Amino acid sequence: MNDGPLIVQSDKTVLLEVDHEQAAEARRAIAPFAELERSPEHIHTYRLTPLGLWNARAAGHDAEQVIDALLAYSRYAVPHSLLVDIAETMDRYGRLRLEKHPVHGLVLASTDRAVFTEVIRSKKVAGMLGEPIEDMPDAEGAIAVHPSQRGNLKQALLKLGWPAEDFAGYVDGEAHAIELTEDGWELRDYQKQAAESFWHGGSGVVVLPCGAGKTIVGAAAMAHAKATTLILVTNTVSARQWKAELLKRTSLTEDEIGEYSGARKEIRPVTIATYQVLTLRRKGVYPHLELLDARDWGLVVYDEVHLLPAPIFRMTADLQARRRIGLTATLIREDGREGDVFSLIGPKRFDAPWKDIEAQGWIAPADCVEVRVTLPEGERLAYATAEPEERYRLASCTFSKTKVAEQLVALHAGEQTLVIGQYLDQLDELGEHLGAPVIKGETSVKEREELFAAFRTGEINLLVVSKVANFSVDLPEAAVAIQVSGSFGSRQEEAQRLGRLLRPKADGKTARFYTIVVRDTVDADFAQNRQRFLAEQGYAYRIMDADDISTETL
Amino acid sequence: MPASSAPRTLADQLRSWPDDRLAALLEARPDLAVPAPTDSAQLASRAVVRVSVARALDLLDRLESETLLAVVQTGPASTEDLEQVLFADPGAVTAALDRLYGLALVWGTTDAWRATTITADLVGIPAGPSRAETERALARIDERARTILDHLDETDAAGTVTQARRPIRIADATTPTEQLLAHRLLEPTDDRHVVVPWSVRLHLRGGRSTREAIDDVPALADSARETTLVDRAAAGAAYEFTRRTEMVLEAWSTRPPAGLRTGGLGVRELRAVAELVHADPAIAALLVETAAAANLLAVGMNDDLDAAWLPTDAYDTWASSSPAERWTVLAKAWLDNPRLVSAVGGRDGDRPINALSPGLERSWLPGDRRTTLSTLLTLEPGRVLAAGTGLGSLARRLRWQHPRRPEARLSLVPGTVDEAAAIGLLGLGGVSSFGRALLLHEDPIPVLTALLPTPVDHVLIQADLTAVAPGPLEQDFARQLSLLADVESRGGATTYRFSVGSVRRAFDSGWSTDEVKAFLAASSRTPVPQALDYLVDDVARRFGTLRLGSAESFLRSDDETALTELMHHAAAANLRLRRIAPTVIVSDVPLQVLLPRLRELGAAPVVEAADGTVRVARPEEHRSRTPRAAPPSGLTDARRAARTTAVISAIRAGDRAAAQRPARAPAKTPADVMSALREAAEARTEVWIGYLDNHGTSVERVVRPLEVGGGQLSAYDERNEEVRSFAIHRISEVRRPKA
Repeated sequence: MNDGPLIVQSDKTVLLEVDHEQAAEARRAIAPFAELERSPEHIHTYRLTPLGLWNARAAGHDAEQVIDALLAYSRYAVPHSLLVDIAETMDRYGRLRLEKHPVHGLVLASTDRAVFTEVIRSKKVAGMLGEPIEDMPDAEGAIAVHPSQRGNLKQALLKLGWPAEDFAGYVDGEAHAIELTEDGWELRDYQKQAAESFWHGGSGVVVLPCGAGKTIVGAAAMAHAKATTLILVTNTVSARQWKAELLKRTSLTEDEIGEYSGARKEIRPVTIATYQVLTLRRKGVYPHLELLDARDWGLVVYDEVHLLPAPIFRMTADLQARRRIGLTATLIREDGREGDVFSLIGPKRFDAPWKDIEAQGWIAPADCVEVRVTLPEGERLAYATAEPEERYRLASCTFSKTKVAEQLVALHAGEQTLVIGQYLDQLDELGEHLGAPVIKGETSVKEREELFAAFRTGEINLLVVSKVANFSVDLPEAAVAIQVSGSFGSRQEEAQRLGRLLRPKADGKTARFYTIVVRDTVDADFAQNRQRFLAEQGYAYRIMDADDISTETL
Repeated sequence: MPASSAPRTLADQLRSWPDDRLAALLEARPDLAVPAPTDSAQLASRAVVRVSVARALDLLDRLESETLLAVVQTGPASTEDLEQVLFADPGAVTAALDRLYGLALVWGTTDAWRATTITADLVGIPAGPSRAETERALARIDERARTILDHLDETDAAGTVTQARRPIRIADATTPTEQLLAHRLLEPTDDRHVVVPWSVRLHLRGGRSTREAIDDVPALADSARETTLVDRAAAGAAYEFTRRTEMVLEAWSTRPPAGLRTGGLGVRELRAVAELVHADPAIAALLVETAAAANLLAVGMNDDLDAAWLPTDAYDTWASSSPAERWTVLAKAWLDNPRLVSAVGGRDGDRPINALSPGLERSWLPGDRRTTLSTLLTLEPGRVLAAGTGLGSLARRLRWQHPRRPEARLSLVPGTVDEAAAIGLLGLGGVSSFGRALLLHEDPIPVLTALLPTPVDHVLIQADLTAVAPGPLEQDFARQLSLLADVESRGGATTYRFSVGSVRRAFDSGWSTDEVKAFLAASSRTPVPQALDYLVDDVARRFGTLRLGSAESFLRSDDETALTELMHHAAAANLRLRRIAPTVIVSDVPLQVLLPRLRELGAAPVVEAADGTVRVARPEEHRSRTPRAAPPSGLTDARRAARTTAVISAIRAGDRAAAQRPARAPAKTPADVMSALREAAEARTEVWIGYLDNHGTSVERVVRPLEVGGGQLSAYDERNEEVRSFAIHRISEVRRPKA
């Protein structure tokens, strides 16, 4: 019996005992190929998935290394079938290559005749392939691919289980000078590593937690590319922040950066567009799609890849000749389209576990507290007889929550506090009770920015926000968040909301993340998902009764 | 070595043997000892029974087989003569002769070895033409004939021709084969097969019976591998196999899979097993087959009284023993399992072969399996079968050891090696230390126990409401924990998840909040997370807030006093009333009884329907169902008539059989039977016969013989009203009809 920190299970999960003396070593050894699924306090769970193994292949690891890492650190014998499976799966990546041929253009080639034949006969790739090519060197089979099908073909091949390696290269795009201006700040080590890993890989995804400076990684990538860049972001506020950040961090000037959103339609060497405007559909067509062809872009930046809407995927399929960098906090997509991210944007090029970055002091630790309230008798009856689809709203919007929120705000008086909710009536009610401004969808961008600025400077220290604040809002000093309702406890939303709090605090204080939950209702059921998600991420999680708030210490 | 004075017969020889030699013979050929022979003569006669000799021939390796052939062809021959003919070391020949002598396949003295006649019959080939004739013939045949001859000679194979025995004159020979047959360079062994005869063989092979040395044992291709690594890999496999078996049987305890009507387990069920244990179907088949062979699994009945595969009561004993003991049971069962598990999943004609289905027994399989593993046992410790070439060399070695074994059996060797690795007898191509112990009939348990992970008695409980057991759990502990939490992932470690449902399950089975908390605190190495404590409290808070019971009828009234009065009425004591709320009383007396009794007590109840409306208590009017029309009489009559006729004819046949029994003296000897039957066939008269049917039971029939011949009696059977044939050797007696 080997006394290693890993236990490899036959269901392809890998358990890592955190307190083991070899734990750090083992974690480094398996990080390239195993995806961290849960990281609670004692034992972390990693999962071996085909995508993870292929990501590792793309990063230059081979099956031998993977198997060695497992054998070296495993406490018990590693199931033999699992080892065989790993070798077979990893062997599938790169059997097919997309290459550029001087005569035939884009070509799908393979050194494995059997695989090649299996693939080109598949119905899934029908219509994407042209004439077979006989005189391809170093290949057992080759076939021409229509350049417009490069993305679609990669998607289809991934579905067939034979992901292709893309060696077809990229167009340089229109050159444009972009430099980082490191005056008074400098690129953090992991940011530099991330940008470089991306650049060497050609295109792909960089996974960094919220608050770890993804924008700067994007800027560094642009400085590598030195070409016109299209940046796709989730919403207008986020677009403005990107712009502000780029002005601050790079040699770009106001005139070189354009915003392409609902309000403005500027096309400049660096253009920041929102997903929303690109996916706007009128009479069955996407009128703003030509933006993608408006310039000869040398780089496309996707912010929040895990939120990339389906139409953008389709457009991305046509952009395969341009360098693409995806930025995200998590590869997990609620819709399970991780495979599309892999095939269309590219494999994972850099990943840093949240807790590691937290340990380096870049993001603040968080303390998650669930406060349980009881529905008053009358509301309980209303809840019990309500239609199932109404129940969540009923439970979420109980006045008891407002009262508890009030108590919590009082408890944290003087700290930068956010109250986050889903339902507008409830938000208005909260705003009124707490005497705080409310930011919601209808709030104008200008007003929003003013409020955020005031919050940032500490002029106001309490804001009530709707889910518009979920994404890419930079609130550096929020130390407390109180969540009264959410969209059914989606993992993604939790990650985003928690991210609001995780920017490093000036005083190094622990952030508080309160969630007010009504017991014995669907709200509590959703809270369970949230609890599981947060605990799995390794955050301290407590449950308390609303009555005990008065005894709560900070 | 044989005694100096020449024995006259094999019996003579056996009689002169010392006890230990006889014992060795009986051990090597155990079929000679059952039933115990009365004397040496009987032993000798038994030793030359064809079946027994054929079995003994299977024991011989290439060297011994070739030596035996040489004795058969040249005997009586001296050891020196044989050394001339055989391409082997003189020492090897002597040893081979000694073995053959010990097996009573050859007898005689070192100057004159003889083979038993039956041995010659089984292995012998035609002697062939003389040396001079052979040379002449070889010079006269054409090139094509020579090619065929050389091919047959090189492969040692028998050629197939039509009408091998027909005489051919040299002048008439046209085809190459005919030339060879005419020159006696090939000789027929039966109607369809020809071989190169002995003398020609010697001539072609330079005076020896083989081209290559026969005492050259093919070496196993091996490579170095640390014993500890082999043991680790094998122990991992052993643990995994045991754990998977337990998992499958545990799952089948509650949801047994249906047994197929043809016996066996459905393909879908097998796939479900594979999915359950995260393995391929071949491993799943091996699991269930081995469990069945170990008597842990058998066909029983499920709740619907349908056939289903269920763990046996032996499973409970097995499950409560230590992992090493459990493994030993499984490994032994696998070694002795005569079933060809590797055939599962294949097809027999157009019929798929299911796991556990009948008809997979191969009596030679356990023997072959042991031979394969014993051969691997000869590898030095620290050496294992080489990764690429090892299996091929193992097959070559086995082919040398058992030259008479059919190729189909040798082709199972890789499968056997795979299965042994899956079970843990082998690891990385070498025999594990505990596998070695098992194969050598020693106790593998202490060896294996030292290699298996030590059971742990604690878990690590985490804030995401999971508990991880970092090793195999002690059994009682595992059982308790699996009551309180659901298993999420298995393997070397086990991950459990606590949920509202799982905690409630523990409450359902009688745990209290304090017990749950105490158990968690005692079993966790780490502090129990606050969230889990809260979960337990939360479940406890809601546990039992709804009460459920059964009652036959209820009484409700807004007048609480009226109900109180009723409860205290002396005459109401036997109505078994129970007040469950101020305005509700329930009773397990049915409504029909309760209603008149309450009226007697002076109450004025009305009956409520299921939807809460009041039913007027008017006596219900009863109606019966109109009887269904009788079926048309004609059909019934016809059926009855047909049934009656059948019964009567059976009775009549029985009567005749009884009446004719004590006729004239019955024919009992075979000759008498034949003549009596022939006589009856001629005379077209009925006879009574006593007959043993397929099941060996004696039946009597009255038949009218039609024809006798070819060992069959064709006769008209009164009982079935048809012409049937009877095997004459099964007819015990024949009685002629009364005059």
